[in-house]
Amino acid sequence: MLDAFSRAVVSADAKTATIGESELAALRQYVANGNKRLDAVNAIASNASCIVSDAVSGMICENTGLIQAGGNCYPNRRMASCLRDGEIVLRYISYALLAGDASVLDDRCLNGLKETYIALGVPLQSAGRAVAIMKASSCAHISETNTPGMGGTRFNKMETIQGDCSAVASEAASYFDRIISALG
Amino acid sequence: MKSVVTTVVTAADAAGRFPTQSDLESVQGSIQRSAARLEAAEKLAAGFDKVVQEAGDACFKKYPYLKQAGEAGENQVKTDKCYRDIAHYLRLINYSLVVGGTGPIDEWGIAGAREVYRALNLPTAAYVEAFSYTRERACAPRDMSPEAAKEFKSLLSYVIESLS
Repeated sequence: MLDAFSRAVVSADAKTATIGESELAALRQYVANGNKRLDAVNAIASNASCIVSDAVSGMICENTGLIQAGGNCYPNRRMASCLRDGEIVLRYISYALLAGDASVLDDRCLNGLKETYIALGVPLQSAGRAVAIMKASSCAHISETNTPGMGGTRFNKMETIQGDCSAVASEAASYFDRIISALG
Repeated sequence: MKSVVTTVVTAADAAGRFPTQSDLESVQGSIQRSAARLEAAEKLAAGFDKVVQEAGDACFKKYPYLKQAGEAGENQVKTDKCYRDIAHYLRLINYSLVVGGTGPIDEWGIAGAREVYRALNLPTAAYVEAFSYTRERACAPRDMSPEAAKEFKSLLSYVIESLS
């Protein structure tokens, strides 16, 4: 597993070069935006169950066949597996966002995920859709653009100091996209 | 590679939980201390060739016998390899400063070094002299800030200990 710093080390070692000014500039960016990143991880971790259950409900609303007899979210046992997997995926995304590098996501979550789902007969299209909804709601939580209308009874605003979190939100979005394309 | 972030993530993953407040606190601690480390890494990289040259010169000055026939620095090719090894260790120190832990030195420098030096019949005392010289020579605030120098010197000490 690598983080933003050890990623720089591994790529410098491949060319036996020292890490100089140009590479350090990117790392200083990570340091400078450190608190935003930690707030973003906190926003995901603190709203995880809401993000996951909302995504799975949304996926089912769009395709109600999933909870009818013979559907992949029927009976409760399989629905529970679905919610569990949603939480696992979101958890690895929070790790990747904390590390600033996708290696933990690739090694521990995506490696073999598609093959496993195919073997188990999980519809990849629906799984990808659930991840896409998680992406939208996570990015809304990170950039605090979530509204009571979107959140309903579980609306929760983190009340962090205002600032521009678009960079870290788009980084988080890239990790969700990585999963969607791995399932595609 | 071991760093504060990867340690935190490994522990959280083993327990199957999201990063907690205390996980985030420890990452923040590492981020706050990183300015000195990154400065030291930058200054070392900027003067890298000169630092290597001076360290190597110091070691051949203290142990002139190394240039005699049958010794580790008997000809130009072998001498160059000594400088290359010193550069190798200093590069790993540069990496360790960036990562914020001794991971690169441990994994790529120390692991197996004793066996290699014994097999090739190389004196580790010469490396110790080179890095001790560098440690003495590094001067704050001329070369880098006192905090950065402290980080740099503690990693030099770590390498020296491993070779002693």
